[in-house]
Amino acid sequence: MSFAPETRASLLARLRCRHDEEAWAEFVEIYEPTVYRLARQRGLQDADAAELTQEVFVAVASAIDRWQPDPARAKFRTWLFRVARNLIHDSLAARARRPQASGDTAVRALLDEHAAPSPEESALFEQESRRRLFHWAAERIRGEFHDATWNAFWLTAVEGKEIRQAAETLGLTIGAVYTARSRILARLRQIIEQVEGGR
Amino acid sequence: MVARPSRCDPNRLKLLLENRLAAHARADVECHLDHCDSCRLQLEGMAGDAQWWAEARQFLRPHADPSGSPGSLAVPPESPADPVEAPSPAHGRRRRPDFLEPSDNPAFLGRLGPYEIVEVIGQGGMGVVLKGWDAKLHRYVAIKVLAPQLATSAAARQRFAREARAAAAVVHDHVVAIHAVDSAAGLPFLVMSYVGGTSLQERLDAGGALEAKEIVRIAMQIAEGLAAAHAQGLIHRDIKPANILLENGVERVKITDFGLARAADDASLTHSGYLAGTPHYMAPEQARGEHVDHRADLFSLGSVMYVMCTGQLPFRADGTLAVLRRIAEDAPRPMRQLNPDLPERLVEIVERLHAKHPDHRFQSAAEVAELLGRYLAHLQQPALVPMPPQLPDRSLASRCQRQRAWRKAALGVLLLTAVAATAATAWLWPGGAAPPQPDDQETAQGIPQDRAAHRQAPAPASVLQAPFAQWDLLQEEIDRAKRQAEYVESHFRPSSQYAAAPPPVDPAKIRADLERLQRELSSAGP
Repeated sequence: MSFAPETRASLLARLRCRHDEEAWAEFVEIYEPTVYRLARQRGLQDADAAELTQEVFVAVASAIDRWQPDPARAKFRTWLFRVARNLIHDSLAARARRPQASGDTAVRALLDEHAAPSPEESALFEQESRRRLFHWAAERIRGEFHDATWNAFWLTAVEGKEIRQAAETLGLTIGAVYTARSRILARLRQIIEQVEGGR
Repeated sequence: MVARPSRCDPNRLKLLLENRLAAHARADVECHLDHCDSCRLQLEGMAGDAQWWAEARQFLRPHADPSGSPGSLAVPPESPADPVEAPSPAHGRRRRPDFLEPSDNPAFLGRLGPYEIVEVIGQGGMGVVLKGWDAKLHRYVAIKVLAPQLATSAAARQRFAREARAAAAVVHDHVVAIHAVDSAAGLPFLVMSYVGGTSLQERLDAGGALEAKEIVRIAMQIAEGLAAAHAQGLIHRDIKPANILLENGVERVKITDFGLARAADDASLTHSGYLAGTPHYMAPEQARGEHVDHRADLFSLGSVMYVMCTGQLPFRADGTLAVLRRIAEDAPRPMRQLNPDLPERLVEIVERLHAKHPDHRFQSAAEVAELLGRYLAHLQQPALVPMPPQLPDRSLASRCQRQRAWRKAALGVLLLTAVAATAATAWLWPGGAAPPQPDDQETAQGIPQDRAAHRQAPAPASVLQAPFAQWDLLQEEIDRAKRQAEYVESHFRPSSQYAAAPPPVDPAKIRADLERLQRELSSAGP
C-alpha cells in the first residue's frame, strides 16, 4: 500500500462522470446515513425518511453537472445539504396535501426557492457529514492493520491515552505506538481526501 | 537493542509512513522514535496537521449515533442509541453492493455466483454479509463476502480463509453450518446457513433480562456448541450476544462469526489477538494479552449469562482501557443485587465461569453443558429431577490443597509406574534397551490443569493448516454440513415468512429507481 499521489480521481470528479457506478455506490454509502438522519430529525418516519433519502440521491445524480466546483461558491456538502433540506421541506408540505410526493419535487428542490438554511443548520450537517465520513473511512481501512497497530492508534489518538500507558498495555515499544498512530492517521486522511478532494 | 547510534532522517520517516521500509529498517526507525521527540513531531506532522488529529479525535469518539457497524471499531457506547437518531437496519439493506452482477429477477438486488441476493444483512470491517437465495436447494443462505478493497491484502485473505476453515471444521447443531467456500468476481465468500431469527443481543435489547429457564437453556446450547468447537481445537474468542443467533420458531442457539477464531496451536498468534473482539465479553487473559486457551470462551459465556440474568454488562467503564482493567481486576456487581430473584445455583455457575484465573473455572465446555442440562431438567420438573449436586468448594485454599493432594497422588502413581516399568524392562529386555516412555502421563495426572483432556476426538489440525489445494478433508466437512443442513431443513418447518416465495417488494422499488436514474442520465446527453 503506497502513498503515491492520487491514483484515483477524487470522488466528486468521478461522480460528475455519472456512469462510474462504483463512485456512486460509495457516495451513497457515505452520505446516506447523514441525509437519513436529517430527515428523521425533521420528523419524518422511518419509511418516509428512507424514501426521501433515495429521492435526494436521484436528484443529486440528475443535477450533478450543474454543480460547479468553484471555491467561491458553496462546497459540495453544502449543496447536498440544501438539496436534502429543500426536498424534506417539499415532502412534508406535499404529504400534508396529498399522499405521495412526485418526481418534480426533486427538480424544484434544486432551485433556490426556499430560504437559505441558517448557519447553525449548515454547520450541524457539515459536522454530521464529516463525522460520518471519518467513521466510514475508519471502517474501510480497519482490515488493513493488525489489531495491535489499530489499538495503538485508537487508544492514543481517539481516546487520548498516554503513549507510554498504551505502549505498556499493548506490549509495544513507544516508537511502535508513534509509528502506528501516524500511519493510520495518514491512511485515514488519504481515503478521506479521495472522497472530499482535500480540505 | 541498536548497536549503532540512530540519527534523525526525515526521508526514512516518510517511507515509514508509507509502509515502504524493510523490516529491519523499520525496527531501526521505531527504535529511534523511542526517544527522539523531534522526529515524533515530524512524523505526526507528516501524517496530518493539527486539525486532522483533532478531527480524528472528535469524530471517531463514540457518539450517540453509531452509524457504522457496532463493535468493529471500538467499545460501543454504554447507553442505547437514541432510536430517532439511528438509521433503521432495513434502510441499510437496500443499498446494492457494487460487486454484484445484475439479476434476471427484478425482485433481487443482484447475483453472486449461483446465488441471488436478497438484501444486505450486515456490514463489518472485513466485509459484508448478504442474504442470498439458493435456487438449486430452494433455501435462503447467508453469504459472507470479503470486502473488495481487502481482496488484495494478503493478511485479510488469510484471516478470511482462517475463518472459513475454522467454521467448516465444526459441525454441530448449535454452530452455524457452512455450506461452501466459493468465489465470484474475484472475491472469496463463505456460504452459510441462513438463520432466521434474532440475535441474543437483539432479544436482550428488546426485552431486558430473561427468566431462569431460558437463561439455562440458552447457556447450555452455547456450551454444547463451544464443546464441539473446542473438540476441534478451536477457540472462538468472540463469544458475545451479537454472535449468538436464536433460530426462529424453535429458539435454537446458533453460534456464529468465527472470524476471530484461532486454532489452539496456531503459532502465528502473537499480539495480533489482542483487543480483536468486543472488550466487554473478553476474558482476563485475553485482555492482558497472555496465553489464551479454550477456557477464555467459558469466561465469555459467563459474561453472556451475566447479561441474560441481570440485563446489564458485567464490566462497565468509560473507554476501552478501563473496561479491560475492570475485566482483569474487578469483580462485577453481585448479580442478586441487580436481580434478587435469581436462583442461587445459577449465580454460582456464573461466578465460577467468571473466575479470573482459568484454572479456577470449569475446565471444559462439555462439563458446563452437562451441568446446565441437568439443571435445566430440574427446573423443568423440580419434583421429578433432583438439583445437580453442589458445586465443589471453589475457595482458593481448599483448591490448592486438593491440587497438592492430586499432585502427590499422581507423583506416587508415576513413581510406581516408573519403577514397575524399569523392573519390567530389566526383566523383558535384559540387553538394557531404553524403557518405553509412558505416554499415558497425561491421563495418569488427571489434574484439571490438563488441557488435552477436553479433546474427545483427534483434532484434525491438518484441515486447519492445509492450503486450499487440499480440499478433500475440507470437502468432507462441507458435505457433512450440507447433509446436516438438509436434515434440519426437513425436520424444522420454517415459518411462512421464509417459505419458498420470493422476497418482498422493496428491492424492486430500488431497482426501478435505479433504472429511472439510468434512463434520465442517458437521455440527458453527454
